[in-house]
Amino acid sequence: MKIRKVGVLLTALALTAAGCRGGDEGGGGGEGSIDAPGVTSEACPDAVNEDNGCIFLGTISDLTAGPFAPLGVPITEAQEAFWQRVNEDGGIGGYDINVTEYVRDNLYNPETHAQVYAEIEPEVLALAQSLGSPTTLAILEQMKGSDVIAAPASWTSLWGFEDNILESGSSYCVEAMNAVDYMVENEQIESVLAVGFPGDYGGDGAAGAEAAAEANGIEFTSVETAPGQEAQAGAVSSIVQQDPDLVIIGTGPTETAVIVGQAAAQGYQGQFVGLSPTWNPALLESPAAGALEQLFIHSGPWGSYGTDTPGHEAMREALGDVEANDGYTSGWAWSYPMKAALEEWLDGDYSKDRAGLLEAVQSLESVDFEGMLPEEAGNRSAENDIFRQSLLSEVDPAADAGLTTIQDFFTGPSAEAYEFTGPCFEG
Amino acid sequence: MTDLLEALLRGLGTGSVYALLALAFVIIYKATRVISFAQPAMMLTGAVATSYIAPAIGFVLFTGLSFFISVALAALATAALALVVERLAIRPMVGKEVFVVAIITIGIDIAIRVVANGFIGLGARPIGFPWGLDRVELLGLQVQIRHLVMMGTVAVVVALLFLFFQKTRYGLAMRAAAFDQEAAMTQGVSVGGVFAMSWAMAGALAAIAGSLLATGAGVDRQLWLVALAALPAIILGGLDSLEGAVVGGLAVGVVEALVGTYQREYAPWLGDNVALVSPYVLMLLVLLAKPYGIFGTPEVRRV
Amino acid sequence: MRGRPAFYESYSQELALFNTRPKQVGVGVLVVIAVLMPFVLQDALLRTLAIAFVFAIGALGLNIVTGLAGQVSLGHAFFLGVGAYTAAAISGDPEGRTIGFGIQEMWVWLPAAGIVAAICGVIVAPLATRLRGLYLAIVTLGLVFIGEHVFREWSDLTGGAGVGRTAAEPVLFGFNFSESSASFSRDQQLYLLMFVLMLVFALAARNIARSRVGRAFSAIRDRDMAAEMMSIDLPRTKTLAFAISSFYAGCAGALLYTISGFFDPASFNLLLSVQFIAMVLIGGAGTVGGVIAGALFISLLPTLTRELPAYVPMISSQVTQTPNVFQVEQILYGLLIVVFLLFEPRGLFGIWVRLRTYWKSWPFSY
Repeated sequence: MKIRKVGVLLTALALTAAGCRGGDEGGGGGEGSIDAPGVTSEACPDAVNEDNGCIFLGTISDLTAGPFAPLGVPITEAQEAFWQRVNEDGGIGGYDINVTEYVRDNLYNPETHAQVYAEIEPEVLALAQSLGSPTTLAILEQMKGSDVIAAPASWTSLWGFEDNILESGSSYCVEAMNAVDYMVENEQIESVLAVGFPGDYGGDGAAGAEAAAEANGIEFTSVETAPGQEAQAGAVSSIVQQDPDLVIIGTGPTETAVIVGQAAAQGYQGQFVGLSPTWNPALLESPAAGALEQLFIHSGPWGSYGTDTPGHEAMREALGDVEANDGYTSGWAWSYPMKAALEEWLDGDYSKDRAGLLEAVQSLESVDFEGMLPEEAGNRSAENDIFRQSLLSEVDPAADAGLTTIQDFFTGPSAEAYEFTGPCFEG
Repeated sequence: MTDLLEALLRGLGTGSVYALLALAFVIIYKATRVISFAQPAMMLTGAVATSYIAPAIGFVLFTGLSFFISVALAALATAALALVVERLAIRPMVGKEVFVVAIITIGIDIAIRVVANGFIGLGARPIGFPWGLDRVELLGLQVQIRHLVMMGTVAVVVALLFLFFQKTRYGLAMRAAAFDQEAAMTQGVSVGGVFAMSWAMAGALAAIAGSLLATGAGVDRQLWLVALAALPAIILGGLDSLEGAVVGGLAVGVVEALVGTYQREYAPWLGDNVALVSPYVLMLLVLLAKPYGIFGTPEVRRV
Repeated sequence: MRGRPAFYESYSQELALFNTRPKQVGVGVLVVIAVLMPFVLQDALLRTLAIAFVFAIGALGLNIVTGLAGQVSLGHAFFLGVGAYTAAAISGDPEGRTIGFGIQEMWVWLPAAGIVAAICGVIVAPLATRLRGLYLAIVTLGLVFIGEHVFREWSDLTGGAGVGRTAAEPVLFGFNFSESSASFSRDQQLYLLMFVLMLVFALAARNIARSRVGRAFSAIRDRDMAAEMMSIDLPRTKTLAFAISSFYAGCAGALLYTISGFFDPASFNLLLSVQFIAMVLIGGAGTVGGVIAGALFISLLPTLTRELPAYVPMISSQVTQTPNVFQVEQILYGLLIVVFLLFEPRGLFGIWVRLRTYWKSWPFSY
């Protein structure tokens, strides 16, 4: 019995092996004028428009066991809804967009990310989502090598310097600068403490806060912390001991709840500003809810789920009845530049391959975010195209995802004057 | 001074939870000679179960009663899960290489945690702990009620455990089997039953620990990482010693809290977040002096 | 002698590289098949296999300390990290953000990575040689946590947590294997490079096993007291085992990240160590062929589980629903390991032994 099984296995292996490695890579339809992987003249699977061709976009996100799955899941869901809506509006230039065929889980591990990227790269035109900074950095060189573009799912300031990454909204670094500027202008602030994870996120925010503190001539200190509720004791005691006027937080949501809740319980009365990933509406049910309502302001690259813009409206309608969460908002907002790029590429006079798409991206002067972001946020052609506007919200249990905007898009003087020469966290 | 004492109390609070987790590891180890890497998943499962049961229990006789009842029910549910796992995946491996069994428990851990994560959903689940992050003043010290609850619960559980092991037939059977499986078998002890009981108890302990830990900000996906902090605790105390597990757990909690509070001030060159690795450093230091931990039985081998 | 292949007339016969002819032929055939693979398989799969070969190098190292000398170490990820950073620093850009000396040649950075890791192994050994069994396993696990901390904090070398740095470039005498050349794609080149390197390391491992030192290792594993009676110096031999194993780990670490070209400090965690232990145990501890098979199995398992859910109906691919295909993928990954070890605790090598016995004694089943 066993031998027969092995025989069958070997034959199967030989057959599959022989069937692989064709001369021409990818699913290029060939007959049209477009010669790029992931573009076919046949309709998409389960197509909305049967007559359209199909463009496949890949998604690599944190979907199950990684630390950012609570963000990755709604981002991915919102992007599926986004492109579904695009297809229902007739698609782009005779093509439907499919983002559901090549979705992969990266477990927030750079090696896994690189591996699944290698698997789907020949099958897709570009990436609708590449979640995380170290993960995306692990594939960036290869993306450049084959002119693949991707929408990121992280706000590190590094993306402002990479042509292949279609970032939207401001980075953690800019967010932190604007938050410090706003608080200095509106409150009596003389000292800032940045608390956060090290590296691309917390470290990026801390660098921005430091730059803004320097520009405003106020005191700055920083404390690094690690993921996990029980790991925040050091950060809390630093806050209480140093008693700064303002604390900038760059951690996950539960860490934020622990830090704000415990610092407040120990008598800290200053102001907290949390960068975009610090918020999750579930915190309203946590023991820290009271402290958060009193002391916490949320900084974001765009308005929260319930904001009143056509883009937000369309998103809520497309998603239907889901629990409000700004992962959805982010996934939706990150998709606009990709849509604009595809439109520009298909309509304009570009070579119809990936290189042409990259060229189209670089010539974008504005992107229609349907009001979610100012149009100039999509400007990728100018010399100094770093987007420097962010907004601030306060905790509001009545609002959709628990946040209401208190300061619409603004650029603080620090971010305005700051010269970006490289990612902030490299200092 | 108050800083120091408050840090100590904080450390004893989390330390008592580590002690519970360490006890769970040691109980399984004593019965089966295996370290179960499925404990993090059991802990997460317990916390998730509490977060689902707590809102379902409506009545409140006095503050906190419904929380404790839901923790107890969650512990039972997790123990049931542990029983199933033991019967399906561990019992067939009796007598096989311990490290192979350890790898099996890792596989189980991965599978169960994915399911538990699915139940957690997108945010953090509140656990129905009535006091939240509130604090009380105790002898002039500010103490979080949750830390007091941790210490109290753990004291009760540990006392019950010791009573169980010393005063009941089943406890005696478990001790006998841990001492010498074959001899216990000849005396009519069902060693398979002991295996099952040890897994069930460990599952229940992990569930209680997980629920207590989640009182701070709710159950999130990262909670399982805490279970790993109990590993240095069991080595510190000695792998086969229940007392050692309790002492080791408390020591790890206190050292973590003290390093977290003072390291930035006195040894900033070590970098941030040293507190998280300090239990391992402590473990290495203790092992230099005592290779089998503080309470562990040195291995006696005959030629 | 014909028909009695297991009958040895001399020690040299028993200690031969290939003690039977079928083994010699079998290995030869497998090598030929493996060399032909790049012309058949697609790049993504070749890349996965290249990674698997590097994992095999690391697993062969762990096999020396765990399979041969019987000391279970969970610290392998730490030594991998040491090797990876040594290599990256030596070959890195001197002008870059992170430490680099700009010596790109692989024959410099590869042995250097191994040696630095081996030195770390020797430094750790005095503590490790005092401990046995699970104590040793958890102490070496402590090494991983402490190492992770150092890697995170030493951002001049590592780029820091969440940021990372570029890995070493696989350049040999001016030829860069990670840049596609006229006749081969990048992944084909890397596959062949890693395969050849794995063969070299496997041959060395096999030779160590049959040398005087290797037999001393096995003696310690089987009964350390008896070994000591035969005047085997326990601390020295165990230290040597750690050093060799760390050397392998260092080389594997240096090579592993040349494939993706980038790595961050979070990579060297408990999970990585556990993967290596799983490779050794699933393959069959103590055997070179088994360990390589184990490395292939564990490395290809995620690829396999990504394909499997497609054949299971009724599972949603919507990420917000539970259960969805991605969760099933992870669950399968865990359960396949469990089921496999339940079915055959001696691993792939155990299956092989069963098959061989079946053939040998055919048509009698016993």
